[in-house]
Amino acid sequence: MTLHLDDDELVSCVACGLCLPHCPTYRVTGEESASPRGRIAAMRAVQWSGAPLEGDFTRFMDLCVQCRACEAVCPSSVPFGHLMEGARETLASDTRYQPGWRRAGYRVLGRHRLLLTASTALAVGQRLRLVPRRFGLPRLALRRRPLVATGNDVWLFTGCVMDAWMRETHAAVMRVLAAAGAGVALPGPGAACCGALHEHAGLVEDAQRLARRVIGAFPGEAPVLVDSAGCGAALKGYGRLLGTPDAAEFSRRVMDVHEWLAARVDALPVPARRFPQLVAVQDPCHLRHVQKAHAHVRTVLGRYADLVELDDEGLCCGAGGAYAALHPDMAADIRARKVAAIARTGAVVVASANPGCAMHLAVAGLDVRHPLEIVDEVIRDGR
Amino acid sequence: MSGGAINDGALATFAEEVGADGPVACVGGRTQWSVGGAVEAGTREVRAPAGIAEYEPAEMVVRCGAGTTVADLDAALGEKSQCVALPAWDGATVGGVLAVGRSGIRRLGYGPVRDTLLEARYVSAEGRLVKAGGPVVKNVSGFDLCRLLVGSLGTLGLLAQVVLRCRPVPAVSRWFAGELDPFELRLRLHRPTSILWDGTTTWLLLEGHPDDVAAQAAFARAPEVDGPPPLPTGGRRSVRPSELRALTGRFVAEVGVGIVHTAEAQPPAALSPGAVELNRRIKHEFDPSGRLNPGRSVLA
Amino acid sequence: MPDALVADLRAALAPERVLAEPLELTLYARDAGIIEGHAHVVCFPLTTGEVQACVRIARAHGRPFTPRGSGTGLAGGAVPVEDPVVIVTTKMDRILEVDEEDRVAWVEPGVLNLDLTHSVAHLGLHYAPDPSSQQSCTVGGNVATNSGGPHCLLYGVTSAHVLAIEVVLADGSVALLGGVDAEPAGYDLRGAFVGSEGTMGIATRIAVRLTPTPPAVRTLLLDFLSVEGAAATVTGIIAAGIVPAALEMMDAEITRAVEDFVHAGFPRDAAAVLLVEVDGLPAGVEAAAQVVADVGRVHGARSTRVAADEAERALLWKGRKSAFGAIARIAPNYYLHDAVVPRTRLVEVLSRVYEIAARHRLVMMNVFHAGDGNLHPLIVFDRRENGVMERVTAAGEEIITACVEAGGVLSGEHGIGLEKRDYMPLIFGEADLDAQARLRHAFDPDGVANPTKVLPAGSRCGDLQRVPEGAWI
Repeated sequence: MTLHLDDDELVSCVACGLCLPHCPTYRVTGEESASPRGRIAAMRAVQWSGAPLEGDFTRFMDLCVQCRACEAVCPSSVPFGHLMEGARETLASDTRYQPGWRRAGYRVLGRHRLLLTASTALAVGQRLRLVPRRFGLPRLALRRRPLVATGNDVWLFTGCVMDAWMRETHAAVMRVLAAAGAGVALPGPGAACCGALHEHAGLVEDAQRLARRVIGAFPGEAPVLVDSAGCGAALKGYGRLLGTPDAAEFSRRVMDVHEWLAARVDALPVPARRFPQLVAVQDPCHLRHVQKAHAHVRTVLGRYADLVELDDEGLCCGAGGAYAALHPDMAADIRARKVAAIARTGAVVVASANPGCAMHLAVAGLDVRHPLEIVDEVIRDGR
Repeated sequence: MSGGAINDGALATFAEEVGADGPVACVGGRTQWSVGGAVEAGTREVRAPAGIAEYEPAEMVVRCGAGTTVADLDAALGEKSQCVALPAWDGATVGGVLAVGRSGIRRLGYGPVRDTLLEARYVSAEGRLVKAGGPVVKNVSGFDLCRLLVGSLGTLGLLAQVVLRCRPVPAVSRWFAGELDPFELRLRLHRPTSILWDGTTTWLLLEGHPDDVAAQAAFARAPEVDGPPPLPTGGRRSVRPSELRALTGRFVAEVGVGIVHTAEAQPPAALSPGAVELNRRIKHEFDPSGRLNPGRSVLA
Repeated sequence: MPDALVADLRAALAPERVLAEPLELTLYARDAGIIEGHAHVVCFPLTTGEVQACVRIARAHGRPFTPRGSGTGLAGGAVPVEDPVVIVTTKMDRILEVDEEDRVAWVEPGVLNLDLTHSVAHLGLHYAPDPSSQQSCTVGGNVATNSGGPHCLLYGVTSAHVLAIEVVLADGSVALLGGVDAEPAGYDLRGAFVGSEGTMGIATRIAVRLTPTPPAVRTLLLDFLSVEGAAATVTGIIAAGIVPAALEMMDAEITRAVEDFVHAGFPRDAAAVLLVEVDGLPAGVEAAAQVVADVGRVHGARSTRVAADEAERALLWKGRKSAFGAIARIAPNYYLHDAVVPRTRLVEVLSRVYEIAARHRLVMMNVFHAGDGNLHPLIVFDRRENGVMERVTAAGEEIITACVEAGGVLSGEHGIGLEKRDYMPLIFGEADLDAQARLRHAFDPDGVANPTKVLPAGSRCGDLQRVPEGAWI
């Protein structure tokens, strides 16, 4: 039995344990099996000593949120995210790790029209009080106003769930980009889903198929801006996922929207008055640990609002894409730490540059907004 | 390197003198001779060797015989502007101060006596020379017998030679006194060396760079005085520092530390049953026949 | 089918807090060192009572027990030997009480060192011992190993900061060692317990001293064209009567690696750099910083950089603390040694250490607490290379011997554990080891608390301590 992992990557962990406090599941459990170090030890047991894939090993791998905070603090630069994706790929192909119903669920994400229809149905269900609050869904709109392209300077990646559930955020982002003088192009239906969740689930072929579609939807040289941290990290990783020069070239064009704006912050209007409330900045893991673009959020948002930092060193909030749906109890335990950290700041409004985090935190009763929604509000108020 | 009055031969002689049989007590300056009870009558008395064996100022450690007086040691170290954080009671020996384990009134700034001992060579109840700890300032090689020996009243072994951590003599050292709130001072001043309080007057020892001392003294708004008040010598009580606030009667208290000096004798402090049993077992392991300083006990 | 021991533990704790599946046990076979053992069962108590239950049940089934915190130790102290019940304290992670006036905090053993400091920072206080693993290691583990850290030069190691410990002893009873008053009665059992590496019981509540954050700090980076110049500066600073808060040295290789990694402006062509921090009141700090700079200049410091602000200070410290991150770029594995030598012998010992590494064809770097003579020779290697472990081990033994011959000791802050247990006779004679064995015996007469650690077999005169079975390097 082998996991088909790269031995060079697997050997690089020296088990120092510096990752432990940065791992959200270890923070909740205090158990090795829920830590990056323990997961790597388990991968080694499978790959090198023939431990079985089914049972405990699958459980250990599945509990990882894939926030990749461990990577950022690892003194040995262990590529943990890649190892975890590799382990899950083997689990998905060699075991019943991803049963049919889960695979079907992930496939809906790539079929945008189906997703939109289903979302409308959910919105109706919410009005009829048929959808329990504990599902953690935001209040969905019955009707979505279509987005209208404004030019060709930059692309905006619209994605799957975010377009279906939080299209108003896209609209706000487009207004801010317009305020910075950029005309925004919108992709065709090919850009329906970035495939991040598929990749995290080990469904690598599905992820690759979606990646190719996405690349095809953004012709030309214009930067591809992303306002969802998870999607942005995925798009930036296409070069590695597909291993082609085209994909690598595409990934180089991808920027988080704050990254792009931060370089042009002077082009943004000077606020007539600042946002009236203190804003706590929550760093989405894939913005902070993977894209390392969290400072740019502060550059842009700090121009419009007074910011306060959390004291948890960017510990994950527990959203993790589909994680909160698949591990609701663990996700809630992880979130409790984040909610406490936010409470310690005294801020009422939370800015999060990732829709998954925003939804997950909103379930705990927090007022969570996309940073550019706050910027948009200040700019519009100033007119 | 200086001294040389004490060598391995002197240690061996001391060990022989202690021997393996019969009750024996180690005598220093007798400055705290009654702590822990009186030594049984008829107990043979021995004295640990005295003198500095090794002193390298750049190491800031000194090796000396346990019979060396603290005053002699400080005088020698003072030539290199160093000292040890042991109270220099009149005639007190290094071994005696360590064996009793009571810190002086500078404990707030210097830390407790127990943190000064780096290595000990002591004579066991079997009359053997035993080494504990090591001659360097940082050491976790094996169990910390040094900490166990400090304050053991010579009931586990008789100190023969020790290696002590030295500290620089401060540039200036000035006492101030006045009717000040000692608890407020303790919170507002950065690491004063000593704060004493008798319920009315507060004495404050500030040490370090002259400008810092002057600035802290100005903050405290207290005039300079010659030195600390005389301490009542009848009794000594150990409490939590915050409990000092509730003291009444006649006393001098070490604020921030929790030591109270009183005129009247104090009852021995209580110990949990589990700890009492451990004390008993340790004594039994190290001195099963009870020959070392019989009559004195850390639980008295 | 779980055995009766596992069943009893599950009944006493909770089924989900007792692990016995093979893959689960694999994850508790080692700490951050390179020695592996085997756990019989792993349990996670939540209270002192549950720790007592774990110990009593282990004993009832004739099993020893091994305490474990975060498992960041490097000497094998938490490695399970003799198929023990591993008692993990990570779920006992509450800060129970912070007394601002007495500057004391009562914590459970699983509280992380840096979490404690963060939680009292708003009071202007911190927990002074700062081992490099401070973000991950537990206070309980710090107590077990008497941990140090860069700032222990001025502030002292863990033992100086622990006031009282509630301990579950090897017989399952509870004792309170030490106290939060100034002079607790009896022998200093607290002092004896700190650094006992789990062989005297398990700490279940710990009272630690909190230290006021100094009003002034100066951080200096001095660079030298010779290791000798840097080492002479270390002794010169101490001899000048300055006790810096921290006095760290990095050699040429590690400085280059660090600079390539963090871009903190460390000189890439230096033979050695010193990172010196002085703290206290402003005038004293200024004067001390001047002395440090002057002593450095006398011994050939090419430049002295004084951190202008907190950001620059943080950057310099990041360079020091990223040393391990930097070496990962050179080879995937490292073996970090830990020994202390008299400060005046640093140059001589360092050159021997380099010579040993060269002779064994190993890449060696040095980044260490120079101020207290605490060397950390770091051998980097790739364990897949044939025969490399033998060379690493042989070099390690020679390094330790060299340090001891220079008047040093086996460990300054990592502890003895399994790693250095059999080197103990290098610095202790038969009577010395016997005395330590007696202390251990008083706490644990049957030798069931973390057996085979610290003291080599036969330490007790007439004692037949077993050699660990199932432990291998």
